[in-house]
Amino acid sequence: MLSQLQTLVREVDGRYATDTELMFLQNYLQTARLRFSAYQKIQQAEKNIIQQVKKKLIALDPQLLRRGKVDLSAKWQRDTVRGLRFCAHALLVADEEGLEENFLLWFQSIMRSFKAQPSCNMTYKVMQDVVRQYITPQEAELFCPILAQARLLLGQ
Amino acid sequence: MDTPSVNSHKLRQQYPQKHNHYKFSEFFQFNRVEGTIADWNGSRNILTSEDFIIGLLEGLEEEVGAASAAVMYSIGVEWGKQDSLFFDQWFEREYNTKPQQANLMFLLETWWWPFTAQGWGRWEIDMADRQQGFMFINLFDSAVARTLGDVGKPVCYLYAGLYAGFFTEMVRKQLSCIEIQCYSMGETYCKFLLGAKERIDAAAFWLNEGATATDIEKRLRSGDPL
Repeated sequence: MLSQLQTLVREVDGRYATDTELMFLQNYLQTARLRFSAYQKIQQAEKNIIQQVKKKLIALDPQLLRRGKVDLSAKWQRDTVRGLRFCAHALLVADEEGLEENFLLWFQSIMRSFKAQPSCNMTYKVMQDVVRQYITPQEAELFCPILAQARLLLGQ
Repeated sequence: MDTPSVNSHKLRQQYPQKHNHYKFSEFFQFNRVEGTIADWNGSRNILTSEDFIIGLLEGLEEEVGAASAAVMYSIGVEWGKQDSLFFDQWFEREYNTKPQQANLMFLLETWWWPFTAQGWGRWEIDMADRQQGFMFINLFDSAVARTLGDVGKPVCYLYAGLYAGFFTEMVRKQLSCIEIQCYSMGETYCKFLLGAKERIDAAAFWLNEGATATDIEKRLRSGDPL
């Protein structure tokens, strides 16, 4: 929504916005309560979400968060907390476009440089299942596509 | 590249540890009073149009003829060398670690990000043949090639020089670079070969003889005599 607001301010210069141009604001207002509520739940459950995702990843593939003998789980945790927070912020302000521009494109190149795409792919896949335990199905409908976007960009 | 002051970017002063700062409105700071644009690293920037790029290249060609390619390459080399020194400073300041201690791919991605933010295009490095002494760089959306369009020959000499200069300074070994595939030849992206001078000279010869980027890659990988 923030990116769309910026576009609106730029485009609607010296005239009134059309109904079509304002549609995104209507859509945002209709989902605002759900977004606030989900954001707060994710914030409160952050630690549990991260731990559960980590546990599932290790169960699925014990080598996923390791490189040989080196344990990368602390680094994974820092990166994943950061990713989750950016995704939650994008949910709050309904700004997937901004998420991509602000964070995902940059982080994608960093993850690629460490060859971390397989763990990112699994992380954001598993995270979609884990967060459903903490938010309502309606909230998940808004949040999971954002996590899927993160998976798509960071996982390949 | 002018570097007025490392403190000239207010957002960076506020958030010195923010690494994902490549969004247009964050990376650039427009100083309206002075009429200047500083980027996150304190480097002075100017905005140019495609007409400027065409004017620069055509003007140079009119002045020095066929040598314009070599001139652009040399400008790029100097730029790359200076930028390598500048990069060392800001990398250490931002990450509190020396470039030599960082993961190589992370280091290179970090070097290129300001260029991406400035509109020079995105890149992809292929270091699979590093042990053999050469590597490939794929460049998407070259500012020069995009501007000139399909002219049937490689045009990104400035980039080739930039890569040669930067990597020469970084590895402290004389390296050369050649563009072996270009958007301006009707390809979808540009491809550069970086390596020792004799290897690049050989690639230039093959290219003149009509070899494609794929041919050159094959010959290098099969260890064809230079």
